[in-house]
Amino acid sequence: MLDDKKPLVQVQDLKMHFPIYRGILKRQVGAVKAVDGISFDVFEGETLGLVGESGCGKSTVGRCVLRLYEVTGGSIDIDGTDIATLSGAGLRAKRPEMQMIFQDPQASLNPRMTVGSIISEPLDEHMKMSKTEKRERVGELMDAVGLARRFADRYPHEFSGGQRQRIGIARALALNPKFIVCDEPIAALDVSIQAQVVNLLEDLQEKFGLTYLFISHDLSMVRHLATRVAVMYLGRLVELGDSETLYLTPKHPYTQALLSAVPHPDPAQAGNVERIILEGDVPSPANPPPGCTFSTRCPKAQAICKQDSPEWREIGEGHFAACHFIE
Amino acid sequence: MLNYTLRRLMFTIPTLLLISFIIFLILDLAPNDPTGNLPLTIPPEVREKIRQSLGLDAPMYIRYLLWSQQFFINEPLNLLNQWFGWCIGDCEGRLRVSSWATRSPVVDLIAERMPQTLWVVGMSYVVGILIAVPIGVISAYKQYSWFDQIGTFIAMIGFSVPTFFTGVLLIVIFSVWVPNDSFFWLPSIYDTTLEVVDWDSFMLQVRQMIMPVMVLGLFNAAQISRFMRASMLDNLSQDYVRTARAKGLKEKTVLLVHVLRNSMIPVVTVIALGIPQIFGGAIITEQIFKVNGLGQLLIIGIQGADIPLVQTLTFLFAVLIVLFNLIADVLYGLLDPRIRYE
Amino acid sequence: MKLKHLIAGMLGAAMLSTTAMAQEERGRDGNVNVIYWQAASILNPYLSGGTKDIDASSMVIEPLARYDENGNMVPVLAAEIPTAGNGGVSEDLTSITWKLKEGVTWSDGTAFTAADVVFTAEYCMNPDGGCQQLSKFGDVESVEAVDDLTVKITFSVPKPFPYGPFVGSTTPVIQAAQFAECTGEAAPTCTEQNFGPIGTGPFVVTEFRANDAISLEANSNFREAGKPAFATLTFKGGGDAASAARSVLETGEFDYAWNLQIAPEILADMEAKGIGTVVSGFGPLVERLMVNQTDPDPALGDGRSTVANPHPFLSDLNVRKALSLAIDRPLLVEIGYGKAGNVTCNVLPSPAIYNSPNNAGCEVQDIAGANALLDEAGWVRGADGVREKDGVRLSILYQTSTNAVRQDFQALIKQWWAEIGVETELKNIDAAVFFGGDQSSPDTFQKFFADIEMYANTFDGTDPEAYMGNWACSEIPSPDNAWLGGNMPRFCDPAYDALLAEMAGTADINERARLAIAMNDMLMQNYIMIPLVHRGNVSARANTLEGVKLNVWDSQLWNVADWSRAN
Repeated sequence: MLDDKKPLVQVQDLKMHFPIYRGILKRQVGAVKAVDGISFDVFEGETLGLVGESGCGKSTVGRCVLRLYEVTGGSIDIDGTDIATLSGAGLRAKRPEMQMIFQDPQASLNPRMTVGSIISEPLDEHMKMSKTEKRERVGELMDAVGLARRFADRYPHEFSGGQRQRIGIARALALNPKFIVCDEPIAALDVSIQAQVVNLLEDLQEKFGLTYLFISHDLSMVRHLATRVAVMYLGRLVELGDSETLYLTPKHPYTQALLSAVPHPDPAQAGNVERIILEGDVPSPANPPPGCTFSTRCPKAQAICKQDSPEWREIGEGHFAACHFIE
Repeated sequence: MLNYTLRRLMFTIPTLLLISFIIFLILDLAPNDPTGNLPLTIPPEVREKIRQSLGLDAPMYIRYLLWSQQFFINEPLNLLNQWFGWCIGDCEGRLRVSSWATRSPVVDLIAERMPQTLWVVGMSYVVGILIAVPIGVISAYKQYSWFDQIGTFIAMIGFSVPTFFTGVLLIVIFSVWVPNDSFFWLPSIYDTTLEVVDWDSFMLQVRQMIMPVMVLGLFNAAQISRFMRASMLDNLSQDYVRTARAKGLKEKTVLLVHVLRNSMIPVVTVIALGIPQIFGGAIITEQIFKVNGLGQLLIIGIQGADIPLVQTLTFLFAVLIVLFNLIADVLYGLLDPRIRYE
Repeated sequence: MKLKHLIAGMLGAAMLSTTAMAQEERGRDGNVNVIYWQAASILNPYLSGGTKDIDASSMVIEPLARYDENGNMVPVLAAEIPTAGNGGVSEDLTSITWKLKEGVTWSDGTAFTAADVVFTAEYCMNPDGGCQQLSKFGDVESVEAVDDLTVKITFSVPKPFPYGPFVGSTTPVIQAAQFAECTGEAAPTCTEQNFGPIGTGPFVVTEFRANDAISLEANSNFREAGKPAFATLTFKGGGDAASAARSVLETGEFDYAWNLQIAPEILADMEAKGIGTVVSGFGPLVERLMVNQTDPDPALGDGRSTVANPHPFLSDLNVRKALSLAIDRPLLVEIGYGKAGNVTCNVLPSPAIYNSPNNAGCEVQDIAGANALLDEAGWVRGADGVREKDGVRLSILYQTSTNAVRQDFQALIKQWWAEIGVETELKNIDAAVFFGGDQSSPDTFQKFFADIEMYANTFDGTDPEAYMGNWACSEIPSPDNAWLGGNMPRFCDPAYDALLAEMAGTADINERARLAIAMNDMLMQNYIMIPLVHRGNVSARANTLEGVKLNVWDSQLWNVADWSRAN
């Protein structure tokens, strides 16, 4: 079933290391390995969920995939073009195909621009359109995200959080992208609004045939939305698989621990799930532990885990994981 | 916004009246004497008569009321008369605020000095801003680069080395070391009587402005470039900048349209708040280059205990400061749509 | 050959005469720049006694007579100097009659007459005008125009030296027509007149920028043909003495700089550049210590520093003498003034005729002598090295105005006095306060709430009578006369007053000199004042500026009409 889908995005061995400078001369003394060699594909029309704890590097992955950072290594193939090595005009030409919806709708909108100009700015940059055409396009986009057209002349601060996120979505849609990275798009919103925005995203996906990389720490929301889910820990993927499979039969100890923390919809069954409590803190990505990065907290860790990094391998159909002990 | 401005303006009136009284009180309490700088050959009895003729024998509140009447009523009436030819009351015999040293109306003295102060100090402010903004922008954009480090170093020097040092240094280099007939020679003394009528006199004016403008400009630039850099850094890390990049905008557009425009908000208010200082003149720089603007007028007034002059000048500075505080607030409201005054 | 020579000679002569004629032309030398680091505020000396204002105005308005660089009186608007000899001064010394030069016109072309002189006197003597030169008109009973060219000034008392009014730049003649509406209370309101007086002098004002710069141009109606040589003159003010010196000696932007009281070695360095010359001259300006004869103890309340309370130890002549002996005057000169200072043992060192020969020897510092003197007088050193007698400690409060040189002097003198067992506390006061007459301030030099104070004093013109009159008993400042008076040491000696009275009735110059020297000696030998440095005036001129004669008796710009540019 997955075979007939072709991947829109192919990420190979992506690395993003942020250098650390110290001292008077600001010499580089090390690097924060925010993303340290991860690979995944996103198929056309699907939603790939990317989950993990805060600071695991999932937002960095999102930004790298859209080349908002200069990546340290690896390739990012979007619709047949490796954007990891593109720069300047070439990269800008590719921008319309890929867009991002940000976590904080307040901060991600320029406070001194009206909603209309925020949405139409990419049109100025990438399309040749007359003024009236642009106005019309802005109107359409506002309709599409459920904003009244008369709000076009207002400033972002005059809107509520949910409305602002709609503006952000409209802006992302302006150039008819194929691929959208949603970087925790609902984390900053009230719970009552979250569902509206998620529904909107789903509607839009259907309507425009969008492909999402949905980054979130909200496991239930990802389960609801995502076709497939990738789990990330300390700059690496630990497990990736079909949403249903992964939620029902998590293989990696970290995934198991994560999922055990999700409140069960049925309180009667909640008692049956044993909650796995992880010991210790997440190690610093500037100085990750040798071997398996999860070994310091893994309840199943053995000697080998401290020495060898587990291989990223397919353990079932379309189900990948990185652990020495998965059969 | 208009209501807000009007309300603020209304509040400034009692504030300024109080300020004028406090200034008067302080000047009155300060131990000084307008005859103190006269040669000792003028005998004490004559000094006493001079003091009487200046009205110094009247009680303090009478002198304050007299000044208030002259400044708040007679001077505006006189302005109406001079500008529009409207004559209200006694136009000829009206007593204006007069300097004790020059015996001429203080307002006329100020008007006479305004051009050179605005030219030199104002220009230095403009030059300062023109230097500071690009330096601030580039320093922030390339934080910790060699450009940033050098910019920080120069700003530190501009900020901490006093103008009386840089001024004299420039004079020693460009007026003393450089021979008189060289193209690079610059006059050390500003000619206030120079009238710009043709290209040559314009070039003379430019030459004599270079040193004072650069000395002050460096100082201003040091200050403003730091503000600019800090403000840019604040904005560069904002999410909307990432949004702008994600939109596929050119880096130039991202930097100049998005980041710079937002970073300018606090900087513009800082610049507006600094404008009264232009009118205040730059006392030290004006002294060094003999620009003889408002700053020099004030210092001469203070040295000579010329109370009406000092009182009027200080009060006008107070007015400008209060006014530009208001302007800065209003500007902030205009520039930043998030701010609304009701 | 002969013919050839003859022709060449004739041609040469013709050329010479044309160049000579060209040199005679008024305004031939273009512009001259003068810098006074104190800017002129006004061009009416009657409303401002500041030297800068008087000097600036001296280029425009002129007196009847002035002093030349040697202190001799020379007629300006007068035809000659009236004396008893030529009948100009009456026998009883109560009137002086000035004959005016014929054909003098104001710069506006109208005739200068005796009426202008009379008007000027009335202008200054008007009680509501606040005239700053009023003392020049002291004892003047009337000023009348005998005819258009004769003015008679009558005094209420005999005036052996009747050259107060209209002699020197402090009392120039102003035009009656121009100032007619400006008398009395209206005087200060006449801004236009005060900024641009019409005069008889070599220059007229074209633009006056108060406290900044004055533009002047040659007066086309000036009475002397071919003068001034300069067509325009710029009188710039502002800055400080060092930068004024630099503008003449180093950058060459200016031709003349006034009053360069800066460190001697700096001035010498600047002069070494070779484009300008430092000129100096010595008037009667003497930096001196005033020795308070009364007790400044705050505990005395209203009686502080008044004659009712003699000073506990400075009333002892031996102490005063010891203080003087301990001072190394040549060192003070070297440190503070260089070429612009001389050691002096007199408070009246100049003009030469008045300089007493009787006090020589003060230039040698004599610490041992001072110590011996105090030992002899019974002042014994206490445990802390400070001398005392009968419970009175030799502890001095020594005040002066704030000024780098004066503070150096204070520090040196404190050290020398410490060597003779005198303890000194130093105090310096802002000049505007110290020399100001603010009744509410305790820090004026007149109140003298200290034991010793230091400043410099001088007098206008060449006659010392009024100056010596400062130390009469009647001149002692006290609360009764609102602290007005010039007798800061509170010295009172009937013998001194008698000498003054005698001088007031003596016209003969040699006799007057004898009396002035006697008074000077009385002050010096009693150590009422301790003279330190005879200070000169230092100015600088560009080497291309000719005709400068530094005048310490009158305006430094007194002969600006004779200035010209060297070829």
